[in-house]
Amino acid sequence: MKKIFMVLLAGLLVFSLALSGCAKQQVQQSAQPEQAKTPEEKVDVVKIGAIFPLTGSAASTGVKLKYAVETAEEIINGEHPELDMPLAREAGLPNLGNAKVKFIFADHQANPEVAKSEAERLIQNEKVVGLIGCYHSSATKPASQVAERFRIPFVAGSSSSAALTERGLEYFTRIAPNDDMETAFFFEYLKYLNATYDAGIKTIGVAYIDNEYGVHAAQMVDKWLKDKYQGEGFEKVVDVKYPKDLSNVDTEVQKIKAAKPDAIFHASYIGDITQFVKKYKEFDVVPKAVVNYCGGFQDPQFVVNLGKDADFFSGSNATAPSLFAKMDTLNKINEIYKKKSGVDFDGPALEDFASAMVIADAINQAGTIDSQKVMEAIKSAVFEAPYFVSGKIKFGKNGQNEYSASVMVQTQNGKYEAVWPVDYQTAEPIPTFPAWKNR
Amino acid sequence: MVETKKIFSQKQVLSWMCILIAVLPLAIPNMNFHHVMIMFVIFAALGQSWNIITGFAGQTSFGHAAFFGIGAYTSSVLFWKYMVSPWVGMLLGALIAMGVAVIVSYPCFQLKGHYFAIATLAIGEIIQQIFVSWEYVEGATGISLPILPEGFLQLQFHQSKLPYFYIAYVLFVLVIVVAYGIEHSKMGYYLKAIRESQEAGEAIGINPTRYKLFAMMISSFMTAIFGSLYAQYILYIDPFMVFSLPLSMKIVLLTVLGGLGTLYGPIIGAAILIPLSEYTRILFGGTGKGIDLIIFGLLVVLVACYQPKGMIGLFGGWARKGQRTGGEKGE
Repeated sequence: MKKIFMVLLAGLLVFSLALSGCAKQQVQQSAQPEQAKTPEEKVDVVKIGAIFPLTGSAASTGVKLKYAVETAEEIINGEHPELDMPLAREAGLPNLGNAKVKFIFADHQANPEVAKSEAERLIQNEKVVGLIGCYHSSATKPASQVAERFRIPFVAGSSSSAALTERGLEYFTRIAPNDDMETAFFFEYLKYLNATYDAGIKTIGVAYIDNEYGVHAAQMVDKWLKDKYQGEGFEKVVDVKYPKDLSNVDTEVQKIKAAKPDAIFHASYIGDITQFVKKYKEFDVVPKAVVNYCGGFQDPQFVVNLGKDADFFSGSNATAPSLFAKMDTLNKINEIYKKKSGVDFDGPALEDFASAMVIADAINQAGTIDSQKVMEAIKSAVFEAPYFVSGKIKFGKNGQNEYSASVMVQTQNGKYEAVWPVDYQTAEPIPTFPAWKNR
Repeated sequence: MVETKKIFSQKQVLSWMCILIAVLPLAIPNMNFHHVMIMFVIFAALGQSWNIITGFAGQTSFGHAAFFGIGAYTSSVLFWKYMVSPWVGMLLGALIAMGVAVIVSYPCFQLKGHYFAIATLAIGEIIQQIFVSWEYVEGATGISLPILPEGFLQLQFHQSKLPYFYIAYVLFVLVIVVAYGIEHSKMGYYLKAIRESQEAGEAIGINPTRYKLFAMMISSFMTAIFGSLYAQYILYIDPFMVFSLPLSMKIVLLTVLGGLGTLYGPIIGAAILIPLSEYTRILFGGTGKGIDLIIFGLLVVLVACYQPKGMIGLFGGWARKGQRTGGEKGE
């Protein structure tokens, strides 16, 4: 048996050495990535790195994001005259001699250290000219720092922590609205419910997971209350922070029940929000509204897990299946995506699809793979994005997309309906929760 | 037989290992390979540090990530808030980790076997939770270290990873020297006596608590040093990265994989585990199928089934065979 073991071990060592040898052929001494090709030189394939959580706790989401980027790759490299959007009609990047785009995927395992090393590897070994990703804000942080160091453009799709665009990085941009923008969006929605439906929402509670995503969202609620919305009659009555590895939310839900907030702001992942909703039902917690930051609520699994109990919750989302009928281009893109993934586009997947389209569009507009010129294009251009309700993407000085790509969606009869802004309404909002026993 | 022993003396084997580790990054000038080598020396040193308290003294600690995290946070907070050189933060972090080790270990040493292991696990989790909730250190959002012009003083290098590697390497060699010194000192023998039978040790006049405490202080000090280095290398930390149970388990796993209680064990374990996890992820991670983790898990199962004493068991077999052959030739 020891002989078999030794053979296996030797095989593994040879395998590791062979990999090292492969890597050796891609030696690059300088920290600066190779930018030897000028616009005049023909580029056959433009490589872009895509770092997602393909294994680990968020693997199911990561794989969907991978399908979204593969959808973008298919649209860019194929001929899709039926799609009224940039880079769809012709195959490849027209301004680079119809060069193809190849996305090189890497798995960060929801680990910031791995995200950093994968970013370095993609830049150094794979010679990517840009990066997209990473879904988890905590992974996007170190990966984008690597991009900044190498002066390579990084376009984040769905990472929502506002802290990402507060670091003053020159080579970082982000498509999704951050939690700062989402918070203001939520308050404006509540004001709309009060004004239009006399919902009478005044007190709010915040329930959030104890990590960067949750804590930062809660900080934004405090900031907006202090700066603006306290003056307009809103008041926070309860603040519930819960640990990452939560197994029971009884205490948290009882705390919320005791405070009786009119609206609850949730920053939760799919597992947590599912537990909370079950306990809201068990303890008969009936707020007037529950608004969710981009996270578990936006995952279609929310409706699958909870059935009828999932109804009447709301949250910001880049898209909703009910919008597909109103938006022809989005509908056609979704058909391509659905063939790969088996499900409809959700918000984060669409945002990461957009990040892939934007970086390819910027390279095409720059007419070169020179990272500085590509970054200039990213920062200065207004990108057509007919798949978003905003229809366009434009990055501000801090790298944040100035056009919020979100609508407020509410679950009604097991479907995500766009309920606000009014221009994109697929259904009217239901401003108050019915009692649990009446569902 | 005696000649064979001289040829393969522990000091010589360790020296050759260290020389090989030092020249490898020069032989393969690839930044990704350098990253793997940096992670390798960091984790080999962490395994070596853990080995002092667990391998030598027999006190199984599942909470070493706490000391690693304290080192990482001390240097990062001082650097980020007050621009104190990470070198100063590294030393302070190691001293704080040592202080924490004394405070938490003293009562825990009253516990034996599994209870001690459970207590260290719980303490690790408690310390993580403190940092998650502590706003002064940015809680769960973590700390992004500012990128400064590169230099030895600020411990930042952007053009090449070799300076990071050689700093980690020098510290790694120091850890080996310390571990070697302990193993061959009176303290080393006392620790091994305590490991084999605390009661027997006490009967011959050893104060177990004192020596276990010394071992824990040295172990935590060295672990924290590498926490600071890691933070400066990654330039971003949050409590879930540096205080995590999986990190503690990785340190345990690589040492057990290589061979517990030996100086070679953590080096062999890290030499297999770190490149394997890095390269399988590089090769298969992008597929989204988790093949890298399957291969990684398979190796761990293989070792657990066929080499429960760790990889060092294989070399031990060779050595015995070599000794026998040498003896026969001599005859």
